[in-house]
Amino acid sequence: MTLAHKTPLTPLDDAFTPEGGKQLPAPLKSLRDIRSKAITGMALPNRRTENWKYSSRYLKLDPELAPQTQATGDADYRSVEGVYRLVIRNGVVDLDSSNLPSASGVDIRRFVDLDDVAAQSVAKKLDTTLDHGTTQLAALNTARLEDGVLIRLSADTSVDKPVYIQYVTDAGASGSNYPRVMVEAGQGSKMTLVEEYISNGDQPVLVDSVSELLLDDSANITYIRLCMDPANVRHIGATGVKVGANAKLDSHCIGFGGDLRRHDLQVRLEGQGGYARLNGIALTQDRQHYDNHTAIDHVVPNCDSDENYRCLAADRSHAIFNGRIHIHPDAQQSHADMNNKNLLLSTNAEIDTKPELEIYADDVTCAHGATVGQLDEGSLFYLTSRGIDRDTAATMLSMAFVHELVGQVPLEDIREAVNTRLTDFIEASFRRAAE
Amino acid sequence: MLTIKNLHASVEGTPILKGINLEIKPGEVHAVMGPNGSGKSTLAQVLVGHEAFEVTEGEILFDGQNLLELEVEERALAGLFLAFQYPVEIPGVSNLQFLRTALNTLRKHHGQDELDAPSFMKLAKEKAKQVDLSPDFLKRGVNEGFSGGEKKRNEIMQMLMMEPRLGILDETDSGLDIDALKTIANGVNTLRADNRSFLVVTHYQRLLNHIVPDVVHVLANGQIIKTGDKQLAMELEEHGYGWLGINEAEAAG
Repeated sequence: MTLAHKTPLTPLDDAFTPEGGKQLPAPLKSLRDIRSKAITGMALPNRRTENWKYSSRYLKLDPELAPQTQATGDADYRSVEGVYRLVIRNGVVDLDSSNLPSASGVDIRRFVDLDDVAAQSVAKKLDTTLDHGTTQLAALNTARLEDGVLIRLSADTSVDKPVYIQYVTDAGASGSNYPRVMVEAGQGSKMTLVEEYISNGDQPVLVDSVSELLLDDSANITYIRLCMDPANVRHIGATGVKVGANAKLDSHCIGFGGDLRRHDLQVRLEGQGGYARLNGIALTQDRQHYDNHTAIDHVVPNCDSDENYRCLAADRSHAIFNGRIHIHPDAQQSHADMNNKNLLLSTNAEIDTKPELEIYADDVTCAHGATVGQLDEGSLFYLTSRGIDRDTAATMLSMAFVHELVGQVPLEDIREAVNTRLTDFIEASFRRAAE
Repeated sequence: MLTIKNLHASVEGTPILKGINLEIKPGEVHAVMGPNGSGKSTLAQVLVGHEAFEVTEGEILFDGQNLLELEVEERALAGLFLAFQYPVEIPGVSNLQFLRTALNTLRKHHGQDELDAPSFMKLAKEKAKQVDLSPDFLKRGVNEGFSGGEKKRNEIMQMLMMEPRLGILDETDSGLDIDALKTIANGVNTLRADNRSFLVVTHYQRLLNHIVPDVVHVLANGQIIKTGDKQLAMELEEHGYGWLGINEAEAAG
């Protein structure tokens, strides 16, 4: 009833909206200025902001985080074989460390290298895949634009190897960085895009990343996002996808917790016959946080979506899943299936899950399920009765929980790397719990 | 090998075992028979350390060790093996991974080298064949989608791999046709040795035609009320439990 009961609004510190973008072509610089002006002093999401309800307490945008990342140490690259590599280091595109496809039909360019006509075309499309009402901090990415990467596939181009974007935050890094990627996949084109976020630093760093994928008719994009940053990196990421007629998105997002971890994945099925699969795994331990917010818009008739997200939370950590499916009035014959299963590995961990269905068409099938459970005592007993110690048994059962989703990751090297990382992470949780 | 003295156990405050005394010597096969609800399965579960059962009195010595002080996995490493009445299904953990982890843990415990993948596969296939289980099952999740009979074969297959000191069979015969029963009995019989013992818990005598016991105990209302040789099992088959003055319906509670 009184003002004292209201959560005070915290404005975005002005340090986050400095002048910049001087190397950008005019149309992109102009977009940057518009966003910057719009969000200067904006109220940061708080616990009354629906889409930040469970996560606003982890959102600490201290002014020290505002400057563009500077680093004193070296990068730690994980070598990856059999891919085209694109390195974005401390938010800056590093073509020297990259190995890009030379085949015709694939065009990869920095934003700063675009001519005004191309830049105008990109500026028109940027931010069109994301709802800024629910991805408030994606607007900060545009407001801090210094560069970006445009990947264009001509019609019917199949990229022979995965394009692997490594986002590296170096040792000794501080401040924040704002990587930006735009993919335009022409009609009938095909590509596997991997985004991996890594760091060997230990100071607080903010990464605010935005990737947008525009899939023209019959395009086929496999998207793998690996949020592998260590816990010190606060990461707010958004991926927006538009799926054209008969186009296909196959998305696999795997992430490990940190001081602040947020990923918004927004998919719009805009052409008939479009399909999207959204798989996701999030793991948290210690006092870490991870928040997956997904939204699938069935805009037109005859599109299908399958979503399957799983979270494991150990120790005193906190994982959140919010899955929205919006079936628009015209989108008859939509089939949407959403499933979210969660595993609490400790009685002190917290998992919040919320399916949100908005259905405005009557001839659709839309199924959803969400569960939160613990490791099955009967299974633990069975394994330990064969001489397997309890921690190993618990690790086996936790891995079993994500086994199906890991198995669906299309690239074997990544599947194995993910498996190892997941196992190490879970083992460490049980080891710590036992101490 | 195994000495049970005045064992009392209860579940959620309800006494189930009310003073069991039992001695199994190396190489012996003991059968525990009794009506439903008599405490047969509880005895099996208490031996391997199921948390649901609280031991309120008595002691269990296994090769001189106080079994009740050991964790579930320590009992397994000490040589106890329970073939479950209702083996759980664990999707996402392959039989291969499960068995290899279990066997290598045991080998490590005994100071032996871990088996590498090819040697393990060779052994697993050989043991699977012994209980008529297709090697394909190794790739599947633990017991996932197995029929009742396949689950029981899998239990015996695991026992053949682990070669325990004391094998405990908890109603392994239930739900099996005669061929499966013979296969399983053969599996168990190949393991019979001077230094290995078995405790066979069963409701019916028919399994004991194939796994011939040295000693037969009748359990009723949480106590062993009669002990004899294999002849006792035959008499039970002929006359039913009522012959010993047990009201089966009442015992089942």
